[in-house]
Amino acid sequence: MTKILAYCAYLRRPGVSLSPSGVNGAAVQELALDGLGLLYSQVEWPFDDTALQRYAVEFHGVVSHMFAQGAVVPFRLLSVFEDPQALADFLVAHHAGFIVDLERLQNLVQMECVLYFAPQAGPRPSGKEYLERKAELLRLAEEFVQSLSEALQDIGKEIRIRESKNGGRIFILVERGNEEVFRSIVQKLPVPERFARRFSGPWPAAEFLSDSVKAPQIAGQR
Amino acid sequence: MGPGPRILLFPMQNDFEAVALTGTSDEDVSLLDILDHVLNAGVVIHGSLVLSLAGVDLVYLGLNVVLTSVETALRNLAADEARGKLR
Repeated sequence: MTKILAYCAYLRRPGVSLSPSGVNGAAVQELALDGLGLLYSQVEWPFDDTALQRYAVEFHGVVSHMFAQGAVVPFRLLSVFEDPQALADFLVAHHAGFIVDLERLQNLVQMECVLYFAPQAGPRPSGKEYLERKAELLRLAEEFVQSLSEALQDIGKEIRIRESKNGGRIFILVERGNEEVFRSIVQKLPVPERFARRFSGPWPAAEFLSDSVKAPQIAGQR
Repeated sequence: MGPGPRILLFPMQNDFEAVALTGTSDEDVSLLDILDHVLNAGVVIHGSLVLSLAGVDLVYLGLNVVLTSVETALRNLAADEARGKLR
């Protein structure tokens, strides 16, 4: 059985090149409608579970190739459509929302900073000690996020934070071309004791997509 | 000086980032970063599918649910990898 695997949507313009090969060597094809392009491949389904990591890297390669040339709205790897007609119907139904988001994010990229608790050696703390330590760590994490947002005031267009049980994940929207400025600013920020931080990017600005684009409703489905 | 960036605080969406933090080398982290982004970031199409991952058949009615389960599977996969069990 085959299905249609969608990679990403983008604003069509002259001179844009498409990745020559997609997941599992499938041809990358373009569906276009009024200035919006959508890349997809016809793939064998279900995926071979033993090759999922390779497929993820190949999928990432297709999206990255487009992202290097401009803003994209990435699809998730496991988002598949039944057939080309279903994909075309989707494009017609959601064209306007995708265009709005792509124009809004046209010259922007997403940088990320993950702040997490560094592993602790030593004896296991008591329940009270654990809670006290956790409260202190959360306070330090909040201070770091505040410092980060102040340091990035000039280049950060928008910041979003997701808390996790290990710390926090911070998404920063910056203009394309400001990635090195971002790195130099973040590298200078002191990391709170007992924390470690890691940053990555640029990524497509997926965290900043509107809800209707991120989770579109499809006719006939709840 | 402008008004500065807007800050929005969200509750934890999932714990997959914990996987991305457990890589033992830059290469591990990079692969896990990619897995994290291609599975968790971007447009999610609601649908039904059957997926077999790491030898476990996963049958779900909604892709959101599948993605959560994939995260768990990948976390186990990463743990196996760290222990050198992965083929």
